[in-house]
Amino acid sequence: MPAEVFTQLVDTHYTSLYRFALSLTKNTSDACDLTQQTFFIWARKGDQLREAEKAKSWLFTTLYREFLRVRRRADHVRALEDLPPNDADVAAPEVDVVTGMDATLVVEALQEVDEVYRVPLTLFYLEELSYREIAETVEVPIGTVMSRLSRGKAQLRAALARKDSGLAAKVVSFDTKTRKQL
Amino acid sequence: MKNDEAKFILHAYRPNGSDAGDATFAEALEQAKQDPSINQWFTAQQAFDRAMCAKLVSVAMPTGLRESILAGGKLDVTQTAQARPSWWRSPMWVGLAASAAVLLAVSVALWPQAVEAQPVLIDFALKDTLRMAHGGHGEEAANLRKTLSQSDLQLGSGVVVDFDELKKQGCRTISFNGYDVLEVCFNRDGKWFHCYVARASDFPAIAAKLKPTFRDGSGASAAAWVDGQHIFVIASKAGREAIQRLI
Repeated sequence: MPAEVFTQLVDTHYTSLYRFALSLTKNTSDACDLTQQTFFIWARKGDQLREAEKAKSWLFTTLYREFLRVRRRADHVRALEDLPPNDADVAAPEVDVVTGMDATLVVEALQEVDEVYRVPLTLFYLEELSYREIAETVEVPIGTVMSRLSRGKAQLRAALARKDSGLAAKVVSFDTKTRKQL
Repeated sequence: MKNDEAKFILHAYRPNGSDAGDATFAEALEQAKQDPSINQWFTAQQAFDRAMCAKLVSVAMPTGLRESILAGGKLDVTQTAQARPSWWRSPMWVGLAASAAVLLAVSVALWPQAVEAQPVLIDFALKDTLRMAHGGHGEEAANLRKTLSQSDLQLGSGVVVDFDELKKQGCRTISFNGYDVLEVCFNRDGKWFHCYVARASDFPAIAAKLKPTFRDGSGASAAAWVDGQHIFVIASKAGREAIQRLI
């Protein structure tokens, strides 16, 4: 594979892949490793892919499989039977909360979502893959992806609310301390 | 379709509009138009999703990650190439390559000068348009999208953009020859277009030579021009005529 093709592929996809990896691994160095590993696998095997336009799906799928391979799946992934009922139709999403929050905190909230929902939800928010492509990447039926997006968003809203209330608490304690010093 | 079913489906509708052409969403979208309660829910949901997307793409990249990937990948590419049989050394491929080289030389010699000078940024935009990875996040991008979507605005007469602010707010940024190119998608009369904006100062050679140019690729068309400090490329699967009407 020509180096310039590889460079273009990296430039086009490495940011989204890293962000996906960050949501999976929950730390920067593991996310970097996972992103690099994905591209190294591409460098070795990517030319076997006959349809160039599928490179993006291939990269996301490979990253996810690498993540699963490295980690002991049974310890972390909850069985589908254990899934809680859908908290469907939680009140209107807190747009202002998200907009006003630091990106790092928003990612932390996303990382609190159960992995089984977090994977499709992150892919959805990266907007790189359609729900059909997400279903192929995660290897579940389309209906399952939609279900997990719905449940995942409910969990995410709850996590964001926790982060937001945590922030509010910190602000209060800071004010109190300041007043005492004065 | 019941409202719960419509909501279930619409949870998977990406806020950047990439799914607008997917028939799976058609009925649910129609229901959202007709029923005020689901319309309100969908508007709020999309706003929330859009805010999440913007935050996610604003996550900073670790320093040196790109360089590490490129360096490591280069090693792997080299080793893989060395490990494989050199198919291109076979007499058949050498013969074909020689024929192709002759054809290429003749084509270049006969090609009109204007086309020869065409920059490849427009090709990059065409390829990106076909990748279906589109966005344009942040308030500034939303404003630009709103402007671009005005049906009476002729884009060729000038579009004001704040490149730095767009980028700062998390507008989709792609790299072309090591420089940032921003992308915002917008809709005019039901057709989707993608607006690529580059700094003219990043591509002085292209900016100096670029005349208003149209290009038809496989499955998409594009137009490019320079406007003051920026190079604009509008690309769409809607065809050349649709782009011409915008400009």
